[in-house]
Amino acid sequence: MSRSLATGNHAAGHALALAGEANRNARGCCAGAYPITPQTEIIEYLSGFPFSKGRIVLVESEHSAMGVCIGAALSGARTFTASSSNGLAYMTENIFAAGYYRLPTVMIAVNRTLGPPWNIWVDQGDSLMMRDAAWMQFYCDSHQDLQDTVLMAFRVAEDKRVMLPVIVAMDGFVTSHTQMVVDEPTQEQVDAFLPECVIPHKLKHDHPSTFGGMTWPSETEHHRWEIQHSMENAMTVLEEARDEFEKIFGRRPAGALEAFETEDAETIFIACNTMARTLRNVVIERRKKGEKIGMIRSKLFRPFPRKELLEAIGPAKRVAVLDRNHSPGSGGIFWQEVAATLSHDPDMLLQDYLVGLGGGDVTPENINAIIDDMSERTTASDPEWKDDTA
Amino acid sequence: MTATTPSKPYENHLLRPGNTNCAGCGMSIGLQWLDEALGDEQPVLVIPSCCGIVTAGAFPTSGYGVPTTATTFASSPAVATGISAVAKMNDIDNPVICWAGDGGTYDIGLATLSAAAERNEDIIYICYDNEIYGNTGGQRSGATPIGAVTATTPAGKGERKKDIMAIMAAHRVPYAATLSISHREDFLRKIRYARSIKGFRFLLMLSPCPTGWKSEPDQSTELVEIAVRSGLFPLYEIFDGCRYRINQRPDNMAVDSYIEQQRRFRQIWGDPDALNAHIDAQWRYLDGMATVFPAKDSPVTAAVT
Amino acid sequence: MMEITICGRGGQGGVTLAKIIASAYFLKGKYVQAFGVYAAERSGAPIQAFARVDDNEITNHNQVQNPDYLIVLDRTLIVPGMDATLKNGGSIIVNTPDDNTDYKELFPGREVATIDATSIAVSNGLGTRTVPIVNTTMAGAVARVLDLSLMDLLAGLEHLNFAGTNKTCAREAYKMVRSQKIPGEIVKPPEVTSKPRVADLFDDDVGGMPKIKTGSWATRKPERRQLTPPCNHVCPAGNDVQGFVAAVGKENYDKALGIILETSPLPAICGRVCPAPCMETCNRAEYDTSVNVREIERAAAELGVRTAPNRSSRQEKVAVVGSGPAGLSTAYQLAKLGYPVSLYEAGDELGGVMRTGIPAYRLPRDVLDEEIDYILQYDIAPHTGCQLRREDMLRLSREYQAVFVATGLQNVSDLDLGNSASAEPVQGLHFLEQVRQGNQRLDGQRVIVIGGGNTAMDAARSALRIGASEVRVVYRRTRSEMPAIHEEIEQALEEGIILDELVAPVSLTDSDEGPLLTCQGMVLGPPDASGRPRPVADTSPEARFNLRCDLVILALGQSHDISILPEGSVIKEGEALLGLSGAPFFMGGDFATNAGTVSAAIGCGVRAARHIHRTLSGEDLFPPPEEPVASAEAIKFQRFEHLPPEKVNTLSPAERRRCFDEVHLGFQAGPDGTGAVGEALRCLSCGVCNSCDRCLEYCPEGILRQGSEEEGYYFDLEYCKGCGVCMTACPRGAIYMTNL
Repeated sequence: MSRSLATGNHAAGHALALAGEANRNARGCCAGAYPITPQTEIIEYLSGFPFSKGRIVLVESEHSAMGVCIGAALSGARTFTASSSNGLAYMTENIFAAGYYRLPTVMIAVNRTLGPPWNIWVDQGDSLMMRDAAWMQFYCDSHQDLQDTVLMAFRVAEDKRVMLPVIVAMDGFVTSHTQMVVDEPTQEQVDAFLPECVIPHKLKHDHPSTFGGMTWPSETEHHRWEIQHSMENAMTVLEEARDEFEKIFGRRPAGALEAFETEDAETIFIACNTMARTLRNVVIERRKKGEKIGMIRSKLFRPFPRKELLEAIGPAKRVAVLDRNHSPGSGGIFWQEVAATLSHDPDMLLQDYLVGLGGGDVTPENINAIIDDMSERTTASDPEWKDDTA
Repeated sequence: MTATTPSKPYENHLLRPGNTNCAGCGMSIGLQWLDEALGDEQPVLVIPSCCGIVTAGAFPTSGYGVPTTATTFASSPAVATGISAVAKMNDIDNPVICWAGDGGTYDIGLATLSAAAERNEDIIYICYDNEIYGNTGGQRSGATPIGAVTATTPAGKGERKKDIMAIMAAHRVPYAATLSISHREDFLRKIRYARSIKGFRFLLMLSPCPTGWKSEPDQSTELVEIAVRSGLFPLYEIFDGCRYRINQRPDNMAVDSYIEQQRRFRQIWGDPDALNAHIDAQWRYLDGMATVFPAKDSPVTAAVT
Repeated sequence: MMEITICGRGGQGGVTLAKIIASAYFLKGKYVQAFGVYAAERSGAPIQAFARVDDNEITNHNQVQNPDYLIVLDRTLIVPGMDATLKNGGSIIVNTPDDNTDYKELFPGREVATIDATSIAVSNGLGTRTVPIVNTTMAGAVARVLDLSLMDLLAGLEHLNFAGTNKTCAREAYKMVRSQKIPGEIVKPPEVTSKPRVADLFDDDVGGMPKIKTGSWATRKPERRQLTPPCNHVCPAGNDVQGFVAAVGKENYDKALGIILETSPLPAICGRVCPAPCMETCNRAEYDTSVNVREIERAAAELGVRTAPNRSSRQEKVAVVGSGPAGLSTAYQLAKLGYPVSLYEAGDELGGVMRTGIPAYRLPRDVLDEEIDYILQYDIAPHTGCQLRREDMLRLSREYQAVFVATGLQNVSDLDLGNSASAEPVQGLHFLEQVRQGNQRLDGQRVIVIGGGNTAMDAARSALRIGASEVRVVYRRTRSEMPAIHEEIEQALEEGIILDELVAPVSLTDSDEGPLLTCQGMVLGPPDASGRPRPVADTSPEARFNLRCDLVILALGQSHDISILPEGSVIKEGEALLGLSGAPFFMGGDFATNAGTVSAAIGCGVRAARHIHRTLSGEDLFPPPEEPVASAEAIKFQRFEHLPPEKVNTLSPAERRRCFDEVHLGFQAGPDGTGAVGEALRCLSCGVCNSCDRCLEYCPEGILRQGSEEEGYYFDLEYCKGCGVCMTACPRGAIYMTNL
């Protein structure tokens, strides 16, 4: 372990590389790589990494980048890639393929606003677009969280009880291009943490079969159920992975979510990524003034941790969600998930705030305004837009 | 004795009986011969969306007796790249073969194909060209010949077929060749040659689709025979994208009977001029290339990644 | 609500049929629904389609569970219990050539309507041979059963832009469909069996064989057939020509010889002197040149080992009169069947015309002797020098259980050329016998041979060999009408013999310069009874001319001498003269047929032996009627490489003119058989599977399987889709498709 300075992209890329290298005694690792701002530094880092058994294939599109991952994973290799925004959109078809093929690829999504028009700044709409693609999704709030989560992602994804791909998301520029301090793991630690990648349904010459051919409705329904079941298993596997991670690295990464000051909170605010860190600072400040508020950092989006969220909310009857993403015609996407989770409770006041869309800087003032608005509410309304927007 | 040995257990056939290809499908013959040419060697088949994957039948059974994966429509060369890359780093020498239709090759998959060719991936790419989107019920593709009626060109296609061989040659791939299901020895030789070298190898097979071409299933091989002998479908090889060898010259058989046996050409029955113009232009180009850039000695192949 | 289920095959147009029915009702103001079950339909694969008709809006979208009508587009889809979900009182409409009553086992208690829609559709050219499109035809039958008027039906078709042939077919089916209530009780639907297990994605047992047995998709199936190769068809000896040529091609000379010996004991002789009609009809001649069957037969005789003869095993004795090829053949065949045979010959040596009539340069004596020696290894007792008369024959009929007579043509045709003291014409056969005995020379003489057959050629060429200075052959017609073997004519000309075509002899007179043959020039007129152009005298004055000669040889044909038979005998090949006091007489060879070739005589012998055997034992050994002949149209010549014929060695004209050494020396490429094998491999094996493997190689399904050794490959009909590519691939017409 060495403490060093790194951008988010470097931290994520380095974790991918160490994880890939850790599979050198098995089938090795492979990635398809294609540049797009703001993730490009990740694939640049990977392309320069001296893998002892691995290949970074420099393809012509994101669609093919995921195609290479699919082929390599079908051959039993550890696979990963990174993309953003329209790149993810272009990759979409193969993202779904990897999900429904049950291939444990890990992809870094450096969140960027989907265009057009041209906007390179953060917005989680790109990765959230993949919510139904049978991928797990983690949203990371810091460089350390990001690097730890990448390693955790491989461990969970490749567990036979899960066997699903994982998106690890971070904020474009705010995380990806910001240099901060991280405790970087050593190769030996990663080797110890990640078992050999074993893909049970890889292509076998001694037992040939056709993968991804036609399935009838009965089989399709059954396989969807299997995926749902595996998503549920992921919660258990995640906890086991945290324990193991702590043993090896000496720190315990966040799980499905992180609750802060929620025990006696009357109002709870929910956010993800770096915005959650700003929110936490504001909560600390306002707690000092005696406000009974708390916050939850939402980290795991798929599977959506309903049970954990209900536990964290506890008896509180006022919940606000801060969404840096937007589903036109509905509202924030996290908010929809939270609403579905709380739908049994008629006394709950749940309000959505759309904030920082298109990469707008989310300041403590913005968050204070939201908390102020929330404190005066007696009923929920349609999602609230920032005052100067609406 | 042939490798399509009549005592070989069905489950070991590359294309197993019980596959769902139509009767008289050209692709089926191509797959049988691929099996024959590879002998005991088991390939990995990478098949994009097309009849070729549907024929495998429904999960959990398999119409293929070799490890096979479906890919999204445009992705077979990318997925094959991943498979080939991992095979190489693990010293696995089984050939990785893309088996794709013309839609996946000429149209939606062209960028992916181009990139894999440019990277000179260690892949054998075989396009079974039935000149139509057969799996979706017979719509026009970039491979549909001029004059052909399809579900989307009811008056006959007005444009000429894309010259995919020239496109692939322009990538300077180690080997590109055309395959005829009426010329077995030539077919087997080309597969075996392709197998004997490394790098990106592109093979184009004219694949009659009785359903889409509206032809008699028992005439599939005969149609290809006419296509070759009339010059419509030249048999040739291109080494390193720049040295040409013509395998069989047309013997001036009229293309008319090719047209008349297919109802897809009903708009040009009795009027083969459009196809003859295409044949002439094609052979002017091919003869020119073969004259200026002949394949003389055994080919030298480019470096393989 | 009326509900309809349609069961058909991909490509037959089942979904469209549902739409036609729906259209017809829609135009009558009804609410309708028409749809198919969409999967990955493939041409020929079973599919389902549905239609609903109601007075009110139709709001359910599930597949029809209990139809009022079940329409079956292909009778091969019918399985027991198929009607289980049909409503009580529901009807079944089947596309079938069967009669309604043929369904009393399958659909008891049901109203069943039948229509042969496939025949109607095929005869009107709808669809392909493999998958006829029957939807519009079936629409006609269905409309009738549904009580729709013809007008309603046609309106429904027009609504979907069907016209012309489709409407014709629908109309015809509307007229022809027959409906009938089948007696019996409706069979109850079977109990629902347990739900099939759904496989997990990570199951170990994925990748098994497909469950679909695609043979059920087929409407046709391939069958092998053995056509008769033209060479076999025309071989006068009845040889399996294709069979022995194929065996030589596989270097199995013993097998080849064995095949010939089944029918002919004289392969070395036929391999030299047969006019080889097999080569004339050889389909390969249409492509490049005939297979040289004659030389292959000769090679087989030289390279193969003959089977050991069997001993007699029967009591009945048979007498054979005449030891020419017909007598030898008959004796041989009978001896093979176990009969003890006595062989009577008027001459001093066996062989008949083969010995007396065929010069040694065509048939060396040792070759003749060897083949006769082989025949005599059977239980055949030769009696030479026996000139039998009528009373002797009657004696034989008492001593033997059957008598075979093949004494050849003992009467020669004569020609009156007037009286010439110095040049009395001699008969060709007599001349040849004299030559054979070596007691004649013609040094420096001019010889004229009259005739155009083999005897004429033999006499002319022999005359040259015993010293004649000039030999002319005078013939009334042209060379192309000459009955002699063409090669003989060719060789005669090479040797310097002069052929005077369109010349008829008139008279032979003496002159100061020696004998003169006066000749009349001829021209060809209209055909005569034989089909050849009749020669008529050229009326111009210069058409009559004289030829000087020292000897005139007549070779004008021979006829049989029936004085040896009981009085009143009518001669017909193979017929037994019954009603005599003793054993039946059978006749054959030139004596009965005047066919004039060794091979024809051999064939006669084979048939005679079968006749005799049937008469004596009651057992019929005649082969079944021949399969159709494989014509050149059945052969796909483009599948074969052009191969030049193997070269044959012959003595040069200069070498052979003055000696009786054999002219033909067999294949150039060695006595080791190389040439024969090379030539045999040129055989196209017309209409006979020779295991070339093309069907195996071209089968798109890979379903040709190895059966027992005799069976060879068979088609696995469980999987065969009936595409017919094998039929097209077969270069020799030995596979055809039959409808299921």
